[in-house]
Amino acid sequence: MAEPIIRLDRVSRTYEMGRVAVHALRDVSLEVGPGEFVAIVGPSGSGKSTMMNILGCLDRPTAGRYVLDGTPVADLDDDALARLRSRSIGFVFQSYNLLPRTSALDNVATPLLYQHVSRRDRVARATAALERLGLADRIHHEPTELSGGQQQRVAIARALVTDPAILLADEPTGNLDTHAGREVLELLLELNRAGRTVVLITHDPDVASAASRQIHLLDGQIADVAGVAA
Amino acid sequence: MSPLELLRLAFGRLRTSRLRAALTMLGVIIGVASVVALVGVGQGTTANITSRLAGLGTNLLTINPRNGSAGLTLEDVDAIRKIDGVAAVAPELQTSGTVAVGTKSTSTSLIGTNSAYAFVRAYDVWQGAFLTDPTADNNLRVAVLGSTVADNLGLDATAVGSQVTIDGLPFQVIGITQPKGGSGFQDPDDQVMVPVGVVRKYFVAGDTLRTVGVSVSSVDEMATVKAAITATLRERHGLAATADDDFAILDQSQLLETANSIAGTLALLLGGIASISLIVGGIGIMNIMLVSVRERTREIGIRKAVGARSRDILAQFLIEALTLSVLGGLIGIVLGLAVSAGIARLAGWSFVLSPTVVAVALLFSLAVGVIFGVWPARQAARLDPISALRWE
Repeated sequence: MAEPIIRLDRVSRTYEMGRVAVHALRDVSLEVGPGEFVAIVGPSGSGKSTMMNILGCLDRPTAGRYVLDGTPVADLDDDALARLRSRSIGFVFQSYNLLPRTSALDNVATPLLYQHVSRRDRVARATAALERLGLADRIHHEPTELSGGQQQRVAIARALVTDPAILLADEPTGNLDTHAGREVLELLLELNRAGRTVVLITHDPDVASAASRQIHLLDGQIADVAGVAA
Repeated sequence: MSPLELLRLAFGRLRTSRLRAALTMLGVIIGVASVVALVGVGQGTTANITSRLAGLGTNLLTINPRNGSAGLTLEDVDAIRKIDGVAAVAPELQTSGTVAVGTKSTSTSLIGTNSAYAFVRAYDVWQGAFLTDPTADNNLRVAVLGSTVADNLGLDATAVGSQVTIDGLPFQVIGITQPKGGSGFQDPDDQVMVPVGVVRKYFVAGDTLRTVGVSVSSVDEMATVKAAITATLRERHGLAATADDDFAILDQSQLLETANSIAGTLALLLGGIASISLIVGGIGIMNIMLVSVRERTREIGIRKAVGARSRDILAQFLIEALTLSVLGGLIGIVLGLAVSAGIARLAGWSFVLSPTVVAVALLFSLAVGVIFGVWPARQAARLDPISALRWE
């Protein structure tokens, strides 16, 4: 296996809730290689969200090592963490999380704004990303003018526009009907076939079955691994 | 992020919430406009007073009788004239009268005086001549018209030598004065000057003068001449050493200096009161920005997730507050200048556009934006991306 993009080494995340320590993740070790499609599956309360926050560099582990794309996360301050997110991670959320009253184009271009890309290049790259996802005729639409499936595709375009090392999708089909959900899943598979590393977080085993490897989380620990390693 | 990008974001935001932006700016607009307008009016007043100072006459002292006194007489005038350092003395016996020629008439001030009046009060003759010693001493019925009176009667240069009537009595016009003009609420050109003896003979009973104007040779002698006049008049009026003066000597330049400083203080005071509304405007901005941070929590979370650093968020919200305050400041400056120009026009003084006022007002609104924008912006920047993303 090539140098993994994600390497979790005995990672724990503990929250202090008053006097009680809640162990959201316990000693989780995981490697994801380039070009893999990994699903992290588990019921609610299993630690999926914490996993997502840590993988996405929105949160830091309280114990253990996390190396993303060759960068150990523990040593980074907030600004460096923001830069790492900007460079290495594309987020796709359940509720799309598009900026309201902002055109699809500006939404997709926003991550580039924080990479100090010139306006002209931002527009060009965002337009290209939207066209790749079949949204050429929706470029100037605002989120409220788009269907759920279209909004999620805009969100995927935004995640891809920085050409990140991994695409981190948190219940991307959760708010969509079956048809639109299937389309989004197909899209993720297609992106993965084109070489993109995808980490999918879901509670739905059907959705998870699209991935080449499924990691089952239960009570903050990896319970089971299914599928084949890439 | 470059300042240009931040401005673009801020203006994009303002465009999507125009009404809110306008209402938020209103406080700053009103604050800046009132500061600019009041300071403008203060400066206009000061400039007006200064220009009047020049038009009043050189080294002028005016003597007025105190209430209840015997008053001043022409003999007092003769005595003052003999004092060293006195360049000229003009008695002023003032009343009102109606001047008429043909079918036109105008009501104006009638000033009985002598040949020195033009010099003492700094009038220039436009046409003809001023009162001379012979005409004054002989109580000839001659009149010198102020330019406003001449205008009101429709008289031009050819009127010199013609006749007008004052309260029905015929007078010969011997001169028209140059307009002094433009010095505010009291028009110095709306008066007719005739020999003092004529006024006493036909218009005013008694021989007491309301005013005596004295021109001092040089500004250095003002104080000594003032003292000498006081001594002379006290002696002439037979006042005991312990008695108060029965007259008052006004040093006009002193009076105007006082008036000037009062105007300055007043402008400062009003400006101070107006700047309170600027502070209120700033609080309005802070209020809206805090609400905005709360409403846009999710947006902040999204921006952080896609790579915004805390300082990017801080800058974004700070620039938004600054845009509101500076835009409001600019509108306020334009409005304030318009108001002070309008007042200057109404009051008849010239409008002074002071770059200092504009610069200070702009700096002030910038400061308001920074002071009242920093806190909400810090609140936004400090938000934790995870909980911000979950915010509903």
